[in-house]
Amino acid sequence: MAAGLVAKGLGKRFPGVVALRGVDLTLLPGEVHALVGANGAGKSTLIKILSGYYPTYEGEVWVDGRPVRLVRPDLAFQNGIEVVHQEVDTALVPTLSVAENLFLERIAEGRLGGVLTPGRLLAEAGRALDELGFDLDPGARVEALSLHQKQLLVIARALLRDLRYLILDEPTAALSQLEAEHLFALVERLKEEGVGVLYISHRLAEVERLADRVTVLRAGEKVAAFERPFDLAKVVEAMLGAPAGALFPEKTPVPGAVRLLARGLARPPRVRGVDLSLRVGEVVGLTGLAGAGKTELLRLLFGADRPRAGEVVLEGRPVRFQSPTDAVRAGVYLVPEERRREGLLLDKPVRENLSLPFLEAFARALGWLDRRAERAHAEEVIRRVGLHPPDPEREVRLLSGGNQQKVVVGRWLGGRPRVLLFDEATQGVDVGAKKEIYRLVRAAAREAAVLFATSEVDEALGVADRVLVMRDGRVVAELPGDPSRRQEALALATGARA
Amino acid sequence: MKRLGDFLLRYGVLLAVAVLVVYFKYATTAFWDLDNFLDILRASSILTIVALGVTFSVVVNGFDVSVGGVVGLVVMLATALMVIWHVPWYLAALAGLAVGVVAGLFNSFLIVKLKIPDLLATLGALYLLQGMQLAITKGDAVYKGMTNPWSPDRAQATGEIPGVFLYLGQGYAFASETFRGIPVPVLVMAAVAVLAWFFLDFTRWGRAMYAVGGNPEAARLAGLPVNRYRTAAYVISATLSALAGLVLAARLGSGTVGAGRDYLLDAVAATFVGFAVLAARRPNVWGTVLGAVFVGILLNGLTMLNMPFYIQDIVKGLVLIAALGISYAIRREGE
Repeated sequence: MAAGLVAKGLGKRFPGVVALRGVDLTLLPGEVHALVGANGAGKSTLIKILSGYYPTYEGEVWVDGRPVRLVRPDLAFQNGIEVVHQEVDTALVPTLSVAENLFLERIAEGRLGGVLTPGRLLAEAGRALDELGFDLDPGARVEALSLHQKQLLVIARALLRDLRYLILDEPTAALSQLEAEHLFALVERLKEEGVGVLYISHRLAEVERLADRVTVLRAGEKVAAFERPFDLAKVVEAMLGAPAGALFPEKTPVPGAVRLLARGLARPPRVRGVDLSLRVGEVVGLTGLAGAGKTELLRLLFGADRPRAGEVVLEGRPVRFQSPTDAVRAGVYLVPEERRREGLLLDKPVRENLSLPFLEAFARALGWLDRRAERAHAEEVIRRVGLHPPDPEREVRLLSGGNQQKVVVGRWLGGRPRVLLFDEATQGVDVGAKKEIYRLVRAAAREAAVLFATSEVDEALGVADRVLVMRDGRVVAELPGDPSRRQEALALATGARA
Repeated sequence: MKRLGDFLLRYGVLLAVAVLVVYFKYATTAFWDLDNFLDILRASSILTIVALGVTFSVVVNGFDVSVGGVVGLVVMLATALMVIWHVPWYLAALAGLAVGVVAGLFNSFLIVKLKIPDLLATLGALYLLQGMQLAITKGDAVYKGMTNPWSPDRAQATGEIPGVFLYLGQGYAFASETFRGIPVPVLVMAAVAVLAWFFLDFTRWGRAMYAVGGNPEAARLAGLPVNRYRTAAYVISATLSALAGLVLAARLGSGTVGAGRDYLLDAVAATFVGFAVLAARRPNVWGTVLGAVFVGILLNGLTMLNMPFYIQDIVKGLVLIAALGISYAIRREGE
């Protein structure tokens, strides 16, 4: 068989979920092959299989004609495969120098001898980096490097041990424009040297510029493949799939007065100057790719981070939240992105999770908590959000993902919200729970201004009355909440259209 | 097998206490006696108060190892104020408590503001406090009729520790003709335990502290002032240690160099034994009390068996390791 990294019928199942099914993929030496797909399409699972992360998987892999089982990370290295993860830090030791990280494996295997003088190590690393043409200071400590420099270091280390297939996972997600250009040049160079590059990115503009071929994943399956020259509109269509059915509730917006106003809100690099206004009675969607700055924008509005510039006006009065404590007191609430880490006390009953921000309201003399009032409140919220099972004393960790999310949403609904901020509120919940969360979001808009952030454009268009599209820290467009505008929205979010 | 494991995790500590009591009853002559039990409680009372303080720091997912230093400093300061400087007992006591508040604020400054890991920050504070303890008297012990270390002509110190103050450590309440009475330190311990229990389990502040310890980020995003609660926990921890120091000073009737040193490890052991009581999986007041009494019974029984003193440390070490083993095993199961 010919040269190349060839995968046939790759698949991976987890209890209750098929993350990847029957995917064929070929990566030839000297090509850039782009892998695209929406969140949850199976890109990460595919990369993890190729990097030897899983001890078991379905399907077969050949490297240059030889069958291999990539069941351990070192087997991937030995076959010339290197993955540069989005969180590149995981592959490096932050407290050691560039030189030490560069030769980490050789040091571990004793191939540089037992005695390592720092001088010799630095000299050898300097020589190696020069040969590769990488501009890195061998004596610098890795923790002081920028993300891009860390990427370079990982790639350099791979080149030192016969790199033939390089997998880049969202490599530009946190890079500046200049650094991204530098990375593109490097990818071109590696390609000329015969390295096969599998390039994973949400950013279709990059894909168009670099890729020779594109493979599209959706819901764990390969749904399309394109050769250059390709039509980006078709790629977008393949990523989206057929429009979802009656998942979304009816919209009956009754926009009232402006509740929250932001002007020039900025905290570089993730938020670079955002204006928005939210009215009571409407749901405003906020969409964009992962890393576009949605989460960071919400955190600024909530006082979890402080803006470097700009102002926030709540009901006509400028506010400057020093912490979430101030925001909560003003009735501005956030449903955070990672509910288990940021939202819930998993070991505590539903009742305690629901009352957490409003303990003061249940406290009597001497700070004594009135548990009966607390429980009555919990029961009311549970009814309202349709929690299953409807038991206020159940520990939250025992609930399903969708019901856990209902606890987080219900907590804020029960507290007379003025402004409600949702961050990826339906992540990791099943379709039934999604529907109910959409219903709650719409219902919340009756008394509050609602900003609903999601990286799924269909969801944003389906739930919201109008949708702001964010890219690279800015709001680049506003669309009406019309599901038929999905291609336009995705094109704007990915930069396929300015 | 799994069932047995669950049973041991849940009732292990209670079982251990029961086994100890039965064993000591038959192995010694004086153990099974109401007065001896009250003695055990009295001996455990100071430890319990310190351990309840440590419990507060553990509730907010921190750790306070400076408690032993606070106890020692307060013993020295309170007695020296009375004996050397003739300060009235109530002002000396207030000064002792103030030391606790300041030490707690200092600890939380290191941990919350400077973001030094709690274990290391309070370890530093521990050394500092131990040094200050010695500095008060230039390293001398405090007792009635001691030489005043600060007097240029080495005059005798003429102050004394009044009986009112000593009552706190040596007195008995509710005495009758047939009953010696309940030792006052035991009453102090009971009062502290009930207050701590009320605070942690029944007030909004206690609830918030558990939330801060359970998931700081979630607590912050729910609008709780996380740093303020952490600060409060360290202040309570050190202030309870200061109270324990006052009781110890009254019990000893003098200021002994090195007093309070043992309490640190015993208090940690008690707190972590408390984790395991009834598989609570979290620091809790009655668990800590039981843990402290458990350590007290152990030490009392070993003394009655005429075990050499060094056996005590070995046994304490084993108990601490066993308690940690159990509580971490429970934590893992929770994940």
